Amino acid sequence: MISYKNIHKAFDIPVLTGVDLTVETGEMFALFGPSGTGKSVLMKTTLSLVVPDLGDVEVDGLSVYEGPSSNLEKIRRKIGYVFQHAALFDSLNVYENVSMGLPEDEISRLTTAELSRRVWETLEIVNLEPREILSKLPSELSGGMKKRVGIARAIVGRPEILLWDEPTTGLDPINTAAVERLIKRLSTELEVTSLLVTHDVEGGLQMCDRVAMLSGGTLRFVGTPQEFRDSPDTVVRAFVDRAAAIAALDMAVV
Amino acid sequence: MIRPVEGWFAKVGRSYRVTLEHAGALGMLSWDTLVSIATLKVRLKDILTQLHIMGVQSLPIVFVTATLAGIVTSQQGGYQLISSSPQYILGTLVVQSVVLELAPLLTAIVLVGRIGARITAELGTMVVSEQIDAFKSLGRDPISIIAAPRIIAGVLTMPLLVGFANVIGINAGMLMADFDIGLGRETFLYGARLNWHSWDLFYGFAKSVVFGLFIPVISVHMGLRTRGGAEGVGLQTTKAVMFMILSILVIDALFPPLLLQ
Ligand SMILES: Nc1ncnc2c1ncn2[C@@H]1O[C@H](COP(=O)(O)OP(=O)(O)OP(=O)(O)O)[C@@H](O)[C@H]1O
Ligand SMILES: [Mg+2]
Repeated sequence: MISYKNIHKAFDIPVLTGVDLTVETGEMFALFGPSGTGKSVLMKTTLSLVVPDLGDVEVDGLSVYEGPSSNLEKIRRKIGYVFQHAALFDSLNVYENVSMGLPEDEISRLTTAELSRRVWETLEIVNLEPREILSKLPSELSGGMKKRVGIARAIVGRPEILLWDEPTTGLDPINTAAVERLIKRLSTELEVTSLLVTHDVEGGLQMCDRVAMLSGGTLRFVGTPQEFRDSPDTVVRAFVDRAAAIAALDMAVV
Repeated sequence: MIRPVEGWFAKVGRSYRVTLEHAGALGMLSWDTLVSIATLKVRLKDILTQLHIMGVQSLPIVFVTATLAGIVTSQQGGYQLISSSPQYILGTLVVQSVVLELAPLLTAIVLVGRIGARITAELGTMVVSEQIDAFKSLGRDPISIIAAPRIIAGVLTMPLLVGFANVIGINAGMLMADFDIGLGRETFLYGARLNWHSWDLFYGFAKSVVFGLFIPVISVHMGLRTRGGAEGVGLQTTKAVMFMILSILVIDALFPPLLLQ
């Protein structure tokens, strides 16, 4: 369970002005919102990658900002983070990048063969051909491949919670569907809690148990996908309608 | 009437605050580095890689700089000698200028360009592409993986490079003195020894250690504070270079009153 409590964050201008949100254990939760509203910032506060000016985050009862610093270490082990821009380490190849997803003590416990099997399996899960890419550097991969290596790195440690920052943006329709299935499978089979930031509103609504919309620094809406579709709120409406229009356009093109 | 004055005070206040912030962050960064060394979190392999990049790969440019510095000092010194002053003075002049000032300062300036700018751009890119965040999210400490090896390598490399620059600069000056005004090797060295204090070598060495600490600390610090895309990286790198050169010149100016009496 992740609880965001009264999160405030300003950079030059206020970005988040009091966000309260709880994502239950095992839940699939989608967070929508226009570009630049602070979705990534909110997600980053979970691991203290961005420190809020005010407020706290609790993960499974452990406070990130008000507890001892060992909390953060425990929380970072529980959580896998898929970064919006993949964030692969430039100087490491795919194999090294994915194995970095395991905690150091676990790496030293595994034999080389075990480690490499683990990396291999994880790459297959994200639909990549290990043989072809294991020794490639990130600069030699396409954007979509980088994204999937980033996902592999986030899930290789078998986290209990996954934070997905736009995992399907920039993927072709086939890989988008594959990643969506993966997110779904992880949460149903392994009961992984997923918080998903996405611009694919239709996809998010179909997959998730609950959704929220961030707009103007606070949550404009929290509820089930059906409630979201039926919401009378004009801002939400505009978002749903536009998303529907774009989805229709996509269908026409494909 | 009041506004410009207020504005001026606000500006002074702001830059004062910004300076203090930077100083505080630099101190923290040095401290964190010490902690990660003490807790053995820094990998030897990372340090060796940085030593190679900073040290070995800098030798050619340091060689060229030191040679030119020796030659120019020798020529200008020779030009200023008047007929009544003894020629061996040129030996004193060249050796003192090279050891006390030119070798440490020029080597530091060269390293700002070669190492400092590179570190800031590298780390800045890692920040804007979320790689630093990724390190943290995976429970790794960017200070011990990225910052500390660079800072340690800087402190170790700089005195060695300055020692190298001393040898090259003095020899270049000596050759030039022979070529230019026919001053023999013996006479040159006689002049050099006449005014030599072993303290001078320590003085140059101390300078080089301080420069060797400041260049990577400032460049890492600035790199980690990079914001916004490729443009941000460019901007931050330029700022870091200005910041490093100014700090080096200021530190250089503080040395004589502190250590030369
Ligand atoms: N480290 C930072 N320093 C300064 N400003 C920042 C920083 N990180 C984010 N911001 C600002 O905070 C705001 C929200 O950014 P954020 O990346 O969270 O948006 P987002 O909702 O994820 O948008 P997108 O859908 O485009 O990814 C933006 O205006 C951004 O410029
Ligand atoms: Mg974002």
